[in-house]
Amino acid sequence: MTLSHFQIEFEKMINRDYFSDEIHPMRKEAFAKFIQNGLPTKKWEDWRFTNLASITTKEFHLSEVKDSPKGTIDLSPYQIEDVDTIVIYNGHYLESLSSTPPGLKLLSGLEYLSSKKGTFENSDNSPFDLLNTAFMDSGIAIIVEPNTNIKKPLRLLFISSGKNHLMVSPRVHIDVEESSSLFFIEQHVSQNSESYFQNESVFISVENNSQLDHIRIQSNSESTTNMANLHVKQQADSQYSFFQFADGCTLGRLNIYAKLKGEGADCALNGIALSTGNQHLDHHIIIDHKVPHCTSSQNFKSILQDQSSGVYSGRTIVRKDAQKTNSTQSNKNLLLSKDALMHSIPQLEIDADDVKCAHGSSTGALDDEALFYLRSRGLDILSAKKLLVHGFVSEMIETIKHEPTKNSIHSQLQNWLIHYS
Amino acid sequence: MLNINNLKASIDGKSILKGINLNIKPGEMHAIMGLNGSGKSTLANIISGRDSYTITKGNVIYKGESLLDKSPELRALEGIFMSFQYPVVIPGVNLTYFLKAALNAHRKHRGEDELDAMHFLKLIREKIKQVDIDEKYLKRAVNEGFSGGEKKRNEILQMITLEPSLSILDETDSGLDIDALKIVANGVNQYRTSENAFLVITHYQRLLNYLKPDYVHVLIDGEIVKSGDMSLALELEEKGYGWLEK
Repeated sequence: MTLSHFQIEFEKMINRDYFSDEIHPMRKEAFAKFIQNGLPTKKWEDWRFTNLASITTKEFHLSEVKDSPKGTIDLSPYQIEDVDTIVIYNGHYLESLSSTPPGLKLLSGLEYLSSKKGTFENSDNSPFDLLNTAFMDSGIAIIVEPNTNIKKPLRLLFISSGKNHLMVSPRVHIDVEESSSLFFIEQHVSQNSESYFQNESVFISVENNSQLDHIRIQSNSESTTNMANLHVKQQADSQYSFFQFADGCTLGRLNIYAKLKGEGADCALNGIALSTGNQHLDHHIIIDHKVPHCTSSQNFKSILQDQSSGVYSGRTIVRKDAQKTNSTQSNKNLLLSKDALMHSIPQLEIDADDVKCAHGSSTGALDDEALFYLRSRGLDILSAKKLLVHGFVSEMIETIKHEPTKNSIHSQLQNWLIHYS
Repeated sequence: MLNINNLKASIDGKSILKGINLNIKPGEMHAIMGLNGSGKSTLANIISGRDSYTITKGNVIYKGESLLDKSPELRALEGIFMSFQYPVVIPGVNLTYFLKAALNAHRKHRGEDELDAMHFLKLIREKIKQVDIDEKYLKRAVNEGFSGGEKKRNEILQMITLEPSLSILDETDSGLDIDALKIVANGVNQYRTSENAFLVITHYQRLLNYLKPDYVHVLIDGEIVKSGDMSLALELEEKGYGWLEK
């Protein structure tokens, strides 16, 4: 996808007669900036280890009305008990298959924009944020009004399908107002999809004394590129807990920018990435402690097979005024093949003097001693290896509070292990 | 049950075992005593199948078959068990799950039905009483947060659960206080029958006082320099090893 291909698709979008032109100025501004900067190259510090060939060597097209599903679609493979689900298929919202939990307010992108008096939160942190603003579709805003605890989890199920080299740009805003809570799941799956590019931007605002649990399951097909740009703002005494389980995509990259803006905020970011073949799974995290007395943690684990690769780049920034910050970063990686490659880059930038910050990183193969121990108890070598691999990440999955979601992720891990040999 | 014939082994070109001969029959308990570096643990590791050693001469016959070309798991399934000197922590692997997987691997090998979770739990609750392990440990990861004594008791728990023919206790007494030592010895003694054999490796006669082995061998610099009965252990305790060195 060259810049001129992006230009062609952009013109198509701007000229769609069924699109509101209200957002056009915003789109145009973002697109102009995008064209100016271009796509990242390996010379860009944050993109040194991310090969964007899966985007640059293909031509993607906007998802059109014809790319919405023909007939019924089978959702049973993605069943999670006890959740309400909003289904987005190739960027199209499928209202008839969707439901929302009681008490939750759901707005379209446009409705949200007008409720915000014409200003959306945007970001130009990366070219992909700009690209998302330029091309945003399936805009959804999830609003939890003050003093509301949404009991039933809400899931956004993104399904990619077909052979039309689609490019979709989901745009999600989540506002958890004061003293409220929500359990939110986004799940990304593919049905016979070939060569698909999803560039998602999510803007999250967790207000005073509120709580958001955010689970992200990324299990796209191996010809999919999934770029996620996650922006989190937290106010006083808020809790944000994020957990990603990723085993899909040829290139999957998660960018998280979390800002702790109110005292007493707690931000916990966790992730498990499982890769095989030529997959590349990337994590770029920035947590910005702007005020005192906040806590944050990053805990990411990758398991890599074959010649797959991965990145963990985690940066914790502690501003001058952010005294009494307590933060940890941990990145542990298991290489199951000699050809697998992991880049682990934990970073701290501390400008305050009364803080507790720790970081650690380890990358290695399976522990021979542990393997021998299990074998000496009669487990065959493959079962023993699988048990160790499972044990490497299972405790993280155990921390998921919603039982059916936890079980679903556990069985995805088991399925992944079936193919490990 | 086990015949070791003129076994010589080295690690990284350094000779460790220099011609070991040992014959263990069903129902017997043999103790091997010796100082650090004498080759005791090497012998245990070779029998249980750790592959970091080179066998330069000799063979090991177990139940009439050559043992050395078998995988560690096959040896285990055919009835060899080693209680580790340093039991390994297995993060994220629940003890109950591990024990059940190990037992069912054994049952499958013997052509028996695998135990379901309910029957297994009933069995394991009986077994843990014998080694005085609290039930809460069943929910923990294997050896994670276990004290030294608890780790050793967990080894004995695995032994009495898997019901091996030949049990090798590699310095199971090291780091145990007297109460833990008694519990471990008790667990072992309860498991002794005329069918099972034991090879007990230790520095000290302390554990042997409780186990009362049938034979005691002294290993010095890779060779068995003296064999006898329990009185040899007592003599060593009194006189040390110096009088046996060349």
